[in-house]
Amino acid sequence: MNAKHAFKLWMLGFCGMATLATTPILDVTPAFAHGERSQEPFLRMRTVNWYDTEWVGKSTTVNDVTELRGRFHLSEDWPRAVVKPNRTFINIGSPSSVFVRLSSKVNGTPMFVAGPMEIGRDYEYVVKLKARLPGHHHIHPMYAVKDAGPIAGPGGWMDIKGRYEDFTNPIKTLTGETFDSETKGTATGVMWHLFWAAVACFWVGFFMIRPMYLIRARVLAAYGDEILLDPVDRKVGIALLVFIVTVVTIGYLNADAQHPVTVPLQAGETKIKPLPVTPNPLSIEVTHAEYDVPGRALRMTIHATNNGTQPVSIGEFTTAGIRFTNKVGKAKLDPNYPAELVAADGLTMDNEAPIQPGQTVDIHIESKDVLWEVQRLVDILHDPDQRFAGLVMSWTESGERLINPVWAPVLPVFTRLGA
Amino acid sequence: MFRTDEIIKASKLPPEGVAMSRHIDYIYFIPILFVTIVGTFHMHFDLLAGDWDFWIDWKDRQWWPIVTPITAITFCAALQYYNWVNYRQPFGATICILALLAGKWVTIWAAWWWWSNYPYNFVMPSTLLPSAIVLDIVLLLTRNWTLTAVIGAWLFAILFYPTNWAIFAYSHTPVVIDGTLLSWADYMGFAYVRTGTPEYIRMIEVGSLRTFGGHSTMISSFFAAFASSLMYVLWWQFGKFFCTAYFYLTDDRQRTTKVHDIFAYATLAHSNKATGGKA
Repeated sequence: MNAKHAFKLWMLGFCGMATLATTPILDVTPAFAHGERSQEPFLRMRTVNWYDTEWVGKSTTVNDVTELRGRFHLSEDWPRAVVKPNRTFINIGSPSSVFVRLSSKVNGTPMFVAGPMEIGRDYEYVVKLKARLPGHHHIHPMYAVKDAGPIAGPGGWMDIKGRYEDFTNPIKTLTGETFDSETKGTATGVMWHLFWAAVACFWVGFFMIRPMYLIRARVLAAYGDEILLDPVDRKVGIALLVFIVTVVTIGYLNADAQHPVTVPLQAGETKIKPLPVTPNPLSIEVTHAEYDVPGRALRMTIHATNNGTQPVSIGEFTTAGIRFTNKVGKAKLDPNYPAELVAADGLTMDNEAPIQPGQTVDIHIESKDVLWEVQRLVDILHDPDQRFAGLVMSWTESGERLINPVWAPVLPVFTRLGA
Repeated sequence: MFRTDEIIKASKLPPEGVAMSRHIDYIYFIPILFVTIVGTFHMHFDLLAGDWDFWIDWKDRQWWPIVTPITAITFCAALQYYNWVNYRQPFGATICILALLAGKWVTIWAAWWWWSNYPYNFVMPSTLLPSAIVLDIVLLLTRNWTLTAVIGAWLFAILFYPTNWAIFAYSHTPVVIDGTLLSWADYMGFAYVRTGTPEYIRMIEVGSLRTFGGHSTMISSFFAAFASSLMYVLWWQFGKFFCTAYFYLTDDRQRTTKVHDIFAYATLAHSNKATGGKA
């Protein structure tokens, strides 16, 4: 290796190290989302169909209590590749514990531990949250399925103002004491860790003050261990053994006396009844569906029958937390729903007329927007099972909302000519 | 008080050699051995028993006292082999757990508190230091690794739960939230949101180690003691394998002999003498 070559290598290494060294001091923008768009489309579209999601109190101060609530439908078209929802948990997708979760109810039942849910049924959740860490946070409802993983719902921004130092979360125990979840037990734990670390340092230090390695190795190899095994070591060892057993026993008995009433960790299962099935006079079946790749549009042909007494107008198609509406659905939109998840004029139909009582019609519905691309739902074409699912929302003349789950195989259309 | 002078004299090192050996002791012991154990053992432990040690709502009566000692005694046994067989130093297990806790507390402060903002009490680790010191003392007193596997390993596991009860007893205090009975630890796990760790991930209170009127902790501890004993034997042998130098000697008549030198150094001359050859 000549000098020039060595210099090149040195320079390369120097640049690499300099890059690494400067990385931490750069003003890096924090990541706000949780990779929800990286989840495969079939996972987001065909498992949990979220609706009515509300981020109550989008701006709060530390210690304020707010809510995340909404409903979801477990799709009838649940993918074969995903484990069935036999053990599930409603969770929050947030950048760490920016909120403390005070309570979580699904259909009115507290959900502290996981439990089974039924495919094809609807559930309503209300999660009470207490603001903890100031910042601008992206918060999702999440549906976690054992052996399948968390499935993220739509994300909305929530702001927390104030100072973390002011946060407290006192909870009264069944034995009448009040614990603050931020600090309870910390001092005791640290004290015991320091105490045992001091004892351990004494034990190691007892041997460190004398020759430790090389000298002992030479003596051991030459003469065996008779010289090395110092009687003082044995005496100190026995004394320390007695000391440790005594302290452990006293610590145990003392803790038992301080906390005479204890319960084991609760590891049961939450039993939740699904929402009752409400009669739906509108029946919808998808007879054909295709995804137009260059046009960024999902087109479906539905066969709909109105068995009710009032005309019904279709207004929204929603899947994976994304909402496509026409003027009917747009009028019903919650203005607080994240705008980046709504294609307000993204839903068009070849027949906009209300479906009359007793009428059966075939309607071509197109949900078209760049959101298919932005939300990475186009990747449906790379799924192992090219199908879609979602909810079609329609309204009667009197304003009653009807929700129809839909699902079908999707055929890709790759060129304009094929459209 | 100590036999230090006698040992130094037996080493037949000149004074400058003795001074140098002390420098090497410190350089080797703290920056090399200790930091290496932190890096390797911490990772090994967290991969196998991490969740039980990270989260307060994983510290149950059944799996926590089983998984933690069985996982922790591994490196302790291997390090005991290295320290005892090569130097007759009885602090292999203690230094191992000290290094583990050093790594733990760095993680607790940097990863859990500073980075993820979880309170310390939520991610408080358990301690195995009393168990480790006792394991070392048993080796020192018995001078026998088989007896240490039987007595020391059992004490190592049995002491774990009572030691940590002093730290975590409060977390089993009952609370009632929304009409549901929870332990304080359950409430903490519920309150502090872990997006990627839903409740069902917890491996707690599941299994058949239950009898004696609900006192499953004792059963778990004894099972852990039994398993720790076996694990100790296995990892002592791992220590032996990795601390043994395997090499060949060729003597003057060109006969080659494979040599297993359990000391791994310094005994080459001795081996030469035995075989009458050279390496």
